[in-house]
Amino acid sequence: MSALLRVENLHTHVVLKDQTIKAVNGVSFSVAPGEIVGVAGESGSGKTLTGMSIIGLTQSPIKIISGNIQLDGDDLRSASPETLRKLRGQKIAMVFQDPMMTLNPVLRIDVQMMEMINAHEKVSKSEARTRCVTALAKVGIPEPERRLHQYPHELSGGMRQRVAIATAMLLSPKLIIADEPTTALDVTVQAQILKEMQALCKENGTALIWITHDLAVLAQIADRIVIMYDGKIVETGTAKQILLKPKHTYTQSLLASLPKAAPDADKGKHIVTDSAPTLIKLTNVHKTFGKQSGLLGKFAQRLRLTTAPLITDAVIDANIDIKRGEIFALVGESGSGKSTLGRLACGLLQPTGGRVEYNGVESFRPKTQNAKQARLAVQMVFQDPQSSLNPRMRVLDIIGQAPLAHGLVSRANLEDYVSKQLERVGLDISIKDRFPHEFSGGQRQRISIARALAVNPKVLILDEAIASLDVSIQAKILNLLAKLRNELELTYIFISHDLGVVEHISDRVAVMQKGRIVETGPTREIFANPKHIYTQTLLNDVPRIDALNHI
Amino acid sequence: MIGFLSKRLAQSLLVMLIMSALVFVAVFAIGNPVDVLIDPRATQAEINAAMKALGLDQPFWMQYKTFLANLVKGDVGNSWVYNESALKIMMQRLPATLELAISALVIAIVVGIPLGAYAGLKPDTPSARFIMGSSILSFSVPAFWVGLMLIVIFGVKLHWLPIAGRGETISVFGIPFSFLTLDGLSHLILPAFTLSLSRIGMVIRLVRSGVREVLGQDYIKFARAKGLKESRIVRVHVLKNALIPVITVMGADFAGLLTFAVVTETVFAWPGMGKLIIDSIAMLDRPMIVAYLMVTVLIFILVNFIVDVLYAVIDPRISLTGAKS
Repeated sequence: MSALLRVENLHTHVVLKDQTIKAVNGVSFSVAPGEIVGVAGESGSGKTLTGMSIIGLTQSPIKIISGNIQLDGDDLRSASPETLRKLRGQKIAMVFQDPMMTLNPVLRIDVQMMEMINAHEKVSKSEARTRCVTALAKVGIPEPERRLHQYPHELSGGMRQRVAIATAMLLSPKLIIADEPTTALDVTVQAQILKEMQALCKENGTALIWITHDLAVLAQIADRIVIMYDGKIVETGTAKQILLKPKHTYTQSLLASLPKAAPDADKGKHIVTDSAPTLIKLTNVHKTFGKQSGLLGKFAQRLRLTTAPLITDAVIDANIDIKRGEIFALVGESGSGKSTLGRLACGLLQPTGGRVEYNGVESFRPKTQNAKQARLAVQMVFQDPQSSLNPRMRVLDIIGQAPLAHGLVSRANLEDYVSKQLERVGLDISIKDRFPHEFSGGQRQRISIARALAVNPKVLILDEAIASLDVSIQAKILNLLAKLRNELELTYIFISHDLGVVEHISDRVAVMQKGRIVETGPTREIFANPKHIYTQTLLNDVPRIDALNHI
Repeated sequence: MIGFLSKRLAQSLLVMLIMSALVFVAVFAIGNPVDVLIDPRATQAEINAAMKALGLDQPFWMQYKTFLANLVKGDVGNSWVYNESALKIMMQRLPATLELAISALVIAIVVGIPLGAYAGLKPDTPSARFIMGSSILSFSVPAFWVGLMLIVIFGVKLHWLPIAGRGETISVFGIPFSFLTLDGLSHLILPAFTLSLSRIGMVIRLVRSGVREVLGQDYIKFARAKGLKESRIVRVHVLKNALIPVITVMGADFAGLLTFAVVTETVFAWPGMGKLIIDSIAMLDRPMIVAYLMVTVLIFILVNFIVDVLYAVIDPRISLTGAKS
């Protein structure tokens, strides 16, 4: 069978004034008609630029230096811009990662879909419209007619990604390049989209290049997998070969860093007995967002001048005790209220109703006696190490600020103190005068952890603290957290959407859905025997590599 | 929408009230207008009579009370110089200023948007660099100097364009307009261009940065991946997003354009509000100053309101009621 796409010795470089980065450095692979090929690698491996090079959307300073790209008899490298434009959309289409960003916010869905047809074919408006409706219905969008009239912000993330996929498939292209299309979505939505795309590709005979960092997703969808590292392909093979019998050491290490539920023995878990004292206790905690109407507002509503303001119940009637020394995980999809609950537990937010206690005292209310102490004892590490570190502050100030403010250290001893904090997280004091942007994501997250630990807390709340990191870095940070817990006798509240990591690290878990805690219990019990239907779907939808064993 | 309107109306009334107090206090503090208005040879009795006639013998708060009571009736008093309703004189001058400001805005938009879009789309070309350099120059040079230079070149040396006044006007619904006659239009060109110059620079910079920002967005990449023609990508996808900030900034700026056309009006002897206020301040014509300031506040409120509504019309993500749709 002749290949649909043949990429030969592709070199794509980032040409900067003072240096050239060989982002794609001699990549060759092929895709057969109707085949689903996964391209996997960590950030910086060149997988995205490979995709962009194929569809010809690289822009200065990124340049294709050399190589051959053949698609279905067309030479994409020598084609004129106008020929390339015609091929895009008709023969080759692309779906991007962030569904929030791929649709133009000021144009209605119908405008954005119909322009695709009009760019390539002469058809009447009504026919174009009918085709859009059919395409939307195919990707599982209910009421496609109504959706066409809406703006992107009126649709959920999953819906928007479906619209993008439907748009890409409008002209039945031979090849679709999907760059991390499900990474920004919740697991249940991801599972649906994976199934839908697989079915659609089968039905239309469309080939698919699925670019991702997540090998478990590829286990669900890919026929063949290409592993990239540092701009080169290190291993190619069928999905089974790559995931079950990887030959290259890099592939092996990638697979090894995927979190797995290890037996209790190697986890080094503390056995937290019921007699351990409760450190944080939430009783009937309720949190609503949105302002209640004042007297004037209510009067205006009476007169039908205004509508009642939108009030969201972010957390509804939450009851949790967190015992000293345990790792307590909060899981749920986006919008489930897990982050809000985390913020309530450390006093960043005040509950609308109910009690939040630390050490048996309701100490997070402002101006209460122990407020300051309790706030120091419960610290937070945020998801995005980029935006949670002040870009204009040096490492020394970032870490030293809080201990200085609370008189834990004098200015004279600050450097020694910060040095100790950095050492704990595996960094050196020599970086003290550098700014956050000079570090990698993993290093930045270490700095965030050092900052949280600098005031000697008893509890760390980790809000998606490893979600934005590559798997190999994730594994290292998880090891660091485990080490720190043993050394400093910490308690963790681990907020995550990633069930694999949660199963790997946590002692107990609470599953949240739409603001409510639907199930709480020891991690092993919940994962082995979920009682609530929502937990069951959630667990079912997590892509797993071991699923391949059963094929 | 009704909720938004009623809230906005209440806010506007409050702003007007505070402004009236500020204006009154400030004008009161300037000095006794009788000293300026009356014949220096007048006797004390004559001065007292004049003060009584103008209500200046009353205590400060009584004066403010009368002032407020009259203001509610839409009466800011008679001009002490022209001895006619100050508001009426204001309104006679408003169309000239309005015409000048709108012309300047139109020039700024018509010239600024294409230049800004070009500079944003092709940022590394020499012409783009030239446009950006000129834009800085355009709002750096003072308006009165530009006005004088234009007068010297086009009026005095070349004799191409007239340099003062409104020229021939045609009345539409009783309001005189210059741009409807050739002579009026030729009078309008120089002052309108002078007033628009700094705004052209501003529009260029706003459009350019908007275009640069939008070009990096994923939806532009997606539009390219759809195989759209470049012209459509620029027209529909880039410009529609890039122009949103231009509308908000230029809209809010329009009120400023209207009220601070003073310099341009003075240079070109344009018979608008700006020239009137300068004359009135020189004469300490208190009702005239108050009328000017109150009309100004009203214009600001009105224009900002229109901008807010426009913003919601253009950007579907914005809703006036504040609640998420």
